Amino acid sequence: MMSTGAMFSGDQSSTGDSGKVPVEHLDYGYIAQCRDVKYLESIWRVLSSGDEGIYPHLIEFCESHLEKLDPRSRALRKHRPVATAASLSNEEWSQITDELKTWQEESKMTQTLLKQQSVFDDLENINMPPIRGSNCSIPLSQTSVPKEKRNSSKRTLPRDYGEWDKFDVEKECERIDGNLVKRDPAVAMNTGRPKIKTTVDAALLTEQEKLPLANREKNKGNEAFRANDYEEAVAYYSRSLSIKPTVAAYNNRAQAEIKLKHWHKAMSDCRRVLELEPGNMKALQRRATVYNHMGNFRMAAEDLRMVLREEPQNAAATQLLSETEKKMKECQPEQQRKGKKILIREVEEEDNCNNGETKAEQIAHPVEPSQAVGGEESSAAPAERGDMGNAQKKPHGRGDGGPHSESNSSHHGPWRGKGAAADKYKVAHDSREKVANGTSKRGSTASVPADQSSGGKEAPVGGNAEESVNLDAPCGALPPPVARLKNEGNLLFKNGQFADALEKYSLAIQGYTDSGIDSPEDLCTLYSNRAACYLKDGNSQECIQDCTRALELQSFSLKPLLRRAMAYDSLERYRKAYVDYKTVLQIDAGVQAAHDGVNRITRLLIDQDGAEWREKLPDIPLVPLSAQQHRREEPPSAEVLQARAERKAEVCFTALKQEGNDFVKKGQYQDALGKYSEGLKLKPEECAIYTNRALCYLKLERFAEAKQDCDAALRVEPTNKKAFYRRALANKGLKDYLACSSDLQEVLQQDPNVQEAEKELEEVTVLLRQSLANASPAKARKTVPITEVEGDEETASASDSGGGTKGEGTAINLQPANAYEFGQALNTARSVGDAAACADLLASTTPEALPQLLSTQLDGNTISFIMQALDSHLLERDPNLVYQHLNHLHTANRFSVVLMLLEKDERRHMTQLFEHLSAVQSPEFTKNDVQNLANKYI
Amino acid sequence: MSSPLAKPQIIAHIQKSLNYTVFDSKWIPRSARFVCLGNFARGTGVMQIYEVQHGEAVLVTEVEKPKPIKCGTFGATSLQQRHIATGDFDGNLNIWDLEMPDVSVYTVKAHKEIVNSIDGVGGLGIGDGAPEIVTGSRDGTVKVWDSRQKDSPVANMEPGEGETKRDCWTVAFGHAYNDQDRCVCAGYDNGDIKLFDLRNMSLRWETNIKNGVCCVEFDRRDIDMNKLVATSLEGKFHVFDMRTQHPTSGFASVSEKAHKSTIWQVKHLPQNRDIFMTAGGAGNLHLWKYEYPAQRSKADSDGTEEGVAGSVSLLQNATLSTQPIASLDWSPDKQGLCVCSGFDQAVRVLIVTKLNTV
Repeated sequence: MMSTGAMFSGDQSSTGDSGKVPVEHLDYGYIAQCRDVKYLESIWRVLSSGDEGIYPHLIEFCESHLEKLDPRSRALRKHRPVATAASLSNEEWSQITDELKTWQEESKMTQTLLKQQSVFDDLENINMPPIRGSNCSIPLSQTSVPKEKRNSSKRTLPRDYGEWDKFDVEKECERIDGNLVKRDPAVAMNTGRPKIKTTVDAALLTEQEKLPLANREKNKGNEAFRANDYEEAVAYYSRSLSIKPTVAAYNNRAQAEIKLKHWHKAMSDCRRVLELEPGNMKALQRRATVYNHMGNFRMAAEDLRMVLREEPQNAAATQLLSETEKKMKECQPEQQRKGKKILIREVEEEDNCNNGETKAEQIAHPVEPSQAVGGEESSAAPAERGDMGNAQKKPHGRGDGGPHSESNSSHHGPWRGKGAAADKYKVAHDSREKVANGTSKRGSTASVPADQSSGGKEAPVGGNAEESVNLDAPCGALPPPVARLKNEGNLLFKNGQFADALEKYSLAIQGYTDSGIDSPEDLCTLYSNRAACYLKDGNSQECIQDCTRALELQSFSLKPLLRRAMAYDSLERYRKAYVDYKTVLQIDAGVQAAHDGVNRITRLLIDQDGAEWREKLPDIPLVPLSAQQHRREEPPSAEVLQARAERKAEVCFTALKQEGNDFVKKGQYQDALGKYSEGLKLKPEECAIYTNRALCYLKLERFAEAKQDCDAALRVEPTNKKAFYRRALANKGLKDYLACSSDLQEVLQQDPNVQEAEKELEEVTVLLRQSLANASPAKARKTVPITEVEGDEETASASDSGGGTKGEGTAINLQPANAYEFGQALNTARSVGDAAACADLLASTTPEALPQLLSTQLDGNTISFIMQALDSHLLERDPNLVYQHLNHLHTANRFSVVLMLLEKDERRHMTQLFEHLSAVQSPEFTKNDVQNLANKYI
Repeated sequence: MSSPLAKPQIIAHIQKSLNYTVFDSKWIPRSARFVCLGNFARGTGVMQIYEVQHGEAVLVTEVEKPKPIKCGTFGATSLQQRHIATGDFDGNLNIWDLEMPDVSVYTVKAHKEIVNSIDGVGGLGIGDGAPEIVTGSRDGTVKVWDSRQKDSPVANMEPGEGETKRDCWTVAFGHAYNDQDRCVCAGYDNGDIKLFDLRNMSLRWETNIKNGVCCVEFDRRDIDMNKLVATSLEGKFHVFDMRTQHPTSGFASVSEKAHKSTIWQVKHLPQNRDIFMTAGGAGNLHLWKYEYPAQRSKADSDGTEEGVAGSVSLLQNATLSTQPIASLDWSPDKQGLCVCSGFDQAVRVLIVTKLNTV
């Protein structure tokens, strides 16, 4: 191109800063190869300046190349004339004008409406914040930095002697304090982002004004969301919702909560959307995401399928679904366990809201203080290893004492549910003592080492440590120190020391905020609990504040609402109290206190405001259906109650089993025994517990009981090797070598590799021969157990309780020494439905002792079972005894309660029994007596 | 800028020539009307109300005032009243009821010289707290007013004795996200930007952008300070990220040289705080979008939090006239609708399309 020297020099001079562009570079070839954006820009500037001549095509080429390299280059910015209607297609333009027209019409309408409303201006003025403090002036030059300098320079100046006379210490201190505070406001600004109010008082606004305002807040939320400021976004969405609940705002908030990983909140928002708009795809998809993260893959997949049915092209949903399904498959075996974890957490939450709710009684088994173990442990250890040898091959077999317990050597391991449940009970027990010394702090610090040390070390610390450990019961997601504070608070509250409890809760709240965890449920509980303290202390203002905070965290939470209502009530702010009471009733119509409150306040308000009292009320918030159902279903539905009891039982059971395993490990078989027995009461069908307990019995040389447990285990799981092996050991202990050898053979048949069994078998064969040689009369008796092992008779032997005498197998020698053994026998009989065994048991029991033996175990099933046994077996044999039993049975504990809960079928059994009984002629009792007795039952 | 059709377009919808110099134009909230403020050649002030009807701006009301009116705001009025607060060449602050614009509802001699700029907050449901008006004047002071208090400002930001008075060209409210917090930002002819914290009654931050500050605006008035845009005389604008203030280096910022002449105005889209329009001295409008960085703050070498600025990208530009565009206002109700006026004695209603897709 132009390459004359003259032009070149001219170029240098004329283009100033971009003068470095030699003219050769103004060339298609060069430009096409140039990768330096900056340099291309200077080339472009030279070209477009026209100094080198005008080459429109080269400029265009340069621009297009530049755009390829950097589409945002400034060189590409061109001044464009403003577009007009003509520059758009007709369609687009008419759409725009149509929109504009509708907007114009709408705004005319709002104009007129707004004019009509101007009457209410005064109302709004009432709510207006006050005028700022009078004329303040801020010098322009004042900044934080020079100010500080001034201060320091003044301080370093030595004082005049005269000045010291005028020295005012207090004033000086104040001044210094002031300086300290003001030192660096800028830094303070950054440390904590101030909280945005999450509600807007929109009571005075009309619908007309609410919508734009709600939209505005939602927009702010969207903006914050786009800036990845999710907390702020949630705050603004909440504001929007407080003005006017809309689907979009709920949906967006759910998304923001998902980003913040607040799964529960996100879930409740999704639910609300789906209540308002059942088929909302976004909400479904978001709920699926939440389910997915909460580990509920099945529900997630369900939601996603629903989305895909409507929107088959939804790529995100498809992907999530495939992920979910993959996870579902992976977690199939683990699902059980996962489910359990969630259940445990739920129980904790319930526990957290303790308020004199009676906790399920089955939890009520305090941990016995650890005993000194001594040599027992060491001697037991190898033996145990031997026992468990075969079990190690299947490490995930359910509930095989030894190997399982190893993973949980500490009491407060992952079994949080147990910790919370069992410990809670203990807190109640030990509370008096603890509070009496008032050294809860010291106690708990002492407990720290005890906590961390596992196993036997606990023993020397003794009961005291045990107590304070209880206060460490984990609560929800709270960190241990906070959880302890909370538990201490709960304890103090129960004892009526409200001020102290208050302090604890405050500390807990402080701790919560310091720890920076995110668990609004827990914080809500803390606030709610503290509110209860305030309420008890008569500090209604604070109570209201705390309740409001709790409600901000979890709207429509029953307790804080009720407490706030009471607080308002006591402050004579009846309208607000009324609203809160009403809201409570919406959540749960069964709250008596709320009913009373509403009735009373209604009367008061009518007195105060006359017939139109309702109009002066603030809006009663509409409780979302989710919150309502959640509450309402609970009280009436027996199923739910039962399910919950089952859940609790489940948790409790696992805990007991774990404790039992721990004791076994430590060699404290007696304690372990207790635990397992408790566990069996909750779940009589758990094979592992039977075998574990059998082990304990074996160790304690209570062979008969061991055998019984093995039998029970085999009933549940007919091929349980361990049960066979242990029964063999028990039989050996009982000197029933024949049964022993047959059991051992069974074990070896199943698994020929069990060396212990082989060894035992050899030993037993020798013993068997000896015994056969020694005592021939024993032979007849000892053949019986063989049939017993394989035959149906087994059931009968199950009811054989605690006698511990020699192998008298079938003979029902039932002499339960205490309530526990009786219960044990009865349970076993019942679990297999063996009425005959029960009848035998009853026959061997004295009627007077029956109520005592039954003690707390009486329930509907037991009664009906006893009735059946009496009716079908005992009545023919000994009607008199039946009468006597019946005559005493109704004096048992909880009898009347149980009677009320009887089902139709069970009642029918009872009527039958009495009919039969009255038909019997007996010198001991008359028909009248029977009739009288029947009246007590039916 | 690959697909030009997907970009927002700036469309001139209505153009109306006026027989006076118009300084400011503002939409009346919840209506299709706007107010034009200016001065007649004979030296008096004028206030006109136009209504947008069928693609035309129809004059509804015109009032003549003794002094030329420089600026106005609806920021501190309720939705029902919709009173406009104006500042005039003589330093007066007036509040007018547009239904009866002849007599003012509130008058105060606010400044000794011309009121250059005015802003309001606390009204229209925007910003918690008391409705307040801030004025900035050539006399170097910035004053905050509450219409319920006669004669004296509720806050006064003035140069100390002996300090040179700088001409305050622009003021803006921000940070009004609760009852107490509120900030005023003021820009001066020497390039000073000062941020006053009305809660602590202190100067929170100041900086200098070397050239006269023509306009400052927070992206939203009623949130925790997020961004501040300041435009300058020589055609640059600065976007400050107001979330993280470093004790020594202040707020992080990004600057962009867009116009070849003064940027007279910057206004954020009311429906999206990250989009804003600048109006330049050569009669052109630029539509920008701010993009946040991945992390808005980082720790500096001492471990102190320090802001990180994002970037701005040009969405669209358009040249309206050869004369500077002195005022610009987005409709608070209708997204994409805006009114602007220039020194060519014309007021224009513009439509910006596709704002919700950027």
